Amino acid sequence: MRKSTRAALVGGLAVALGVTGCSTKADSSSSGSGSGDVKTDIGITAKEINLGVLTDLSGVFKNLGLAYTAGNQLWADDVNAKGGVCGRQVKLDVADTAYKADTAVTLYASMKSKDAGIIQMVGSQILAALKSQITADNMLSIPASWASTNLDSDAVFMVGATYDVEMINGLAYLQKKGMLKDGDKIGHIYIGGEYGGGGLLGSQAYAKDHNQTVVEEKIASTDTDMAAAVTDLKSKGVNVIAVTTTPAQMASAATQAQAQGLDVPIVGNNPTYDPTLLNTPAKDALGKYYRSESLVPFSSDVPLAKEIAKKYATKYPNDKPNDAVDFGYASGIAYQAVLEKACSNKDLTRAGIVKAKSEVKVDVNGLMDKLDFSKPGQPSTRSTYIEQADPSAVGGLRVVQDLSESTEAKNYKTPFQK
Amino acid sequence: MIVVLILVPIYATSAWLSVATWIMVGGVGAMGLTMLLGQAGQLSLANTFFLLVGGVSYSVFAGPTDDPTYVGFGLTPLLALVLAVIVSGLVGALFAPIAGRLSGIYLGVASLSLVFLGFYLGRVLPELAGSTSSGRAPVQFGIGSFTISPPNPPITLLGVPLGADERKYYVFVILTAIAYVLARGAIKGRIGRAWRAVRDNESAATVLGVSVMGAKSSAFVVSSMYAGLSGVMTVWWYSLMKPDESEFGTFGVTQAIAFLAMVVIGGMGSLVGSILGSAVVFGLPLILTLLVKNDGVQSGTAFSPGVITNLIYGILIILIIMFEPRGLAGLGHRILALFRK
Repeated sequence: MRKSTRAALVGGLAVALGVTGCSTKADSSSSGSGSGDVKTDIGITAKEINLGVLTDLSGVFKNLGLAYTAGNQLWADDVNAKGGVCGRQVKLDVADTAYKADTAVTLYASMKSKDAGIIQMVGSQILAALKSQITADNMLSIPASWASTNLDSDAVFMVGATYDVEMINGLAYLQKKGMLKDGDKIGHIYIGGEYGGGGLLGSQAYAKDHNQTVVEEKIASTDTDMAAAVTDLKSKGVNVIAVTTTPAQMASAATQAQAQGLDVPIVGNNPTYDPTLLNTPAKDALGKYYRSESLVPFSSDVPLAKEIAKKYATKYPNDKPNDAVDFGYASGIAYQAVLEKACSNKDLTRAGIVKAKSEVKVDVNGLMDKLDFSKPGQPSTRSTYIEQADPSAVGGLRVVQDLSESTEAKNYKTPFQK
Repeated sequence: MIVVLILVPIYATSAWLSVATWIMVGGVGAMGLTMLLGQAGQLSLANTFFLLVGGVSYSVFAGPTDDPTYVGFGLTPLLALVLAVIVSGLVGALFAPIAGRLSGIYLGVASLSLVFLGFYLGRVLPELAGSTSSGRAPVQFGIGSFTISPPNPPITLLGVPLGADERKYYVFVILTAIAYVLARGAIKGRIGRAWRAVRDNESAATVLGVSVMGAKSSAFVVSSMYAGLSGVMTVWWYSLMKPDESEFGTFGVTQAIAFLAMVVIGGMGSLVGSILGSAVVFGLPLILTLLVKNDGVQSGTAFSPGVITNLIYGILIILIIMFEPRGLAGLGHRILALFRK
């Protein structure tokens, strides 16, 4: 090695070692201080509570992500106007994953050093990628997905009914109205994965109670044409079609069923509907579609929903609303209840927040039924609305059955229920 | 250079470490592809299939034996890593005869079928690959009593405690360095010369006594081994082995094209180029995301980091093919040549 190169290397090393003292990571005592008499660690200071928002603002779920985040922000504004939580103002740390798991992993790595928890996490593959980390790091996270197979981690803060419960309530409604009888065949079109699998758990459990058969049609999330699935269901003589798919796929199934003369009711989970479907040719095929959903519709008369709608129109006049805004707000209320419990326990460390979650029951002021997080492995509510597509209603849906919990849903055991 | 690499975890936060490790994951896979495409002239879009094979094999070899849902053999992570790489190589060898009969774009399309095969197998074999919804938890790397997660035994380097992220970074650097050294050796040696002979003119190569089938097979085996290693590193990076739900996932078509982009941008046949290409294709979206500070809700942003990166690397590919077909490596040579004058 030439002398000058060696000299340069040694010089560089010396500088590097000298500068090491400035490395912030070498600081030993960074976190773990208390302000007042409440214990805190990461993400909480004497004046602020920092909550992360790991959302999709530019990818496939951009419409939902923007609406959820707007809902979170409206809640944060309201709470801060009333003095904050535990005497601290809530600040949202919004990050856009564009629905990509690798971006989410990197963004999470930066969130875990500055936020106390995650108030919104969009994407079931993102939840899958981060689940072991949020559990190990005690980052209480509200996912925008409701698969009961994720209820095994205390760090997963699932607000609302799970897909299996939604489906059970939907089928129970059809049976109550005489559209489904014991011994019938239920055709279930579902996306392979935790979403479709969750819905399928529900239809299978319901069918078992009522001596019915489930004819399964598994599809991929990127499939667009449901002709083959519907043809198969028609040939097997199903009496009801259950769908746990994307809105476009539900529309395709409904159109196909109508075209093939399969005149049966269609019941779907909450993500199977999008009001923009009413602007497509599918609008004439949605007459027999029913949606089971634990969240209030955007156009609801519930006072808080109306207030949210008004504030949304003022703050975001250029954006079209959907009920994801209400979910964002409801998530905020639920998180607030947990933070207040942790505050009264004098423990706002991340571990303390996770612990407080299993001690709360939350009243979300009519946006959903009362939520109960104290039963491990169980969904926080089992009551859903049943809605029908309605072009004349704002938001494209009208309620045909108010919040109710069917007996079958009440008795259903989720996979991790003790 | 080595000093800089060693000192990175002292300063970098977890987020930047995850960017660096993700670039290395892509770099290793791209090194394999650049040897296959740049040195041996075989167009293969099946890189992500071998990533899947590597990741699944590792999870199966290292997984616990008593797990009721998933198959596991309970081997140590190091042994499982080696076996996973070997299995990927063997699967690559199985595909090699097809390479013997096809060339150019036809081989590319045929290799694409492997990606779809992988997509299908991933969905029908959840006992091996994990379910498409939640995957299976992998065994993180560890040798003897040194483990990554949870970090044991406690090591402190220059005053900074080495946690799981820092250790993962060092393990990845060591693996990438080994991969680089071995690749360099292959390129400079007889095997590399055989590849280049086959790439430039198959008939001339045969006349010179180079076995064309042998060279193509070895190219596939080596590149699939590298892709297999990259697959294991992917599983460690995500702390999850999860087969894709759609064709646009970690082991899908878009990623295969991303690897191809890395090789083209970096310079076909250049190893340093593959790492630079990975920094652009894998690293840039993450780097931009971390640099762009979101203040509040943005209403329907058109130019998110993901979109900007895709535009950048699309433009880069066009510019490179038009002006510097040898990629960033070619640019590097030109700059160095300026200095030597």
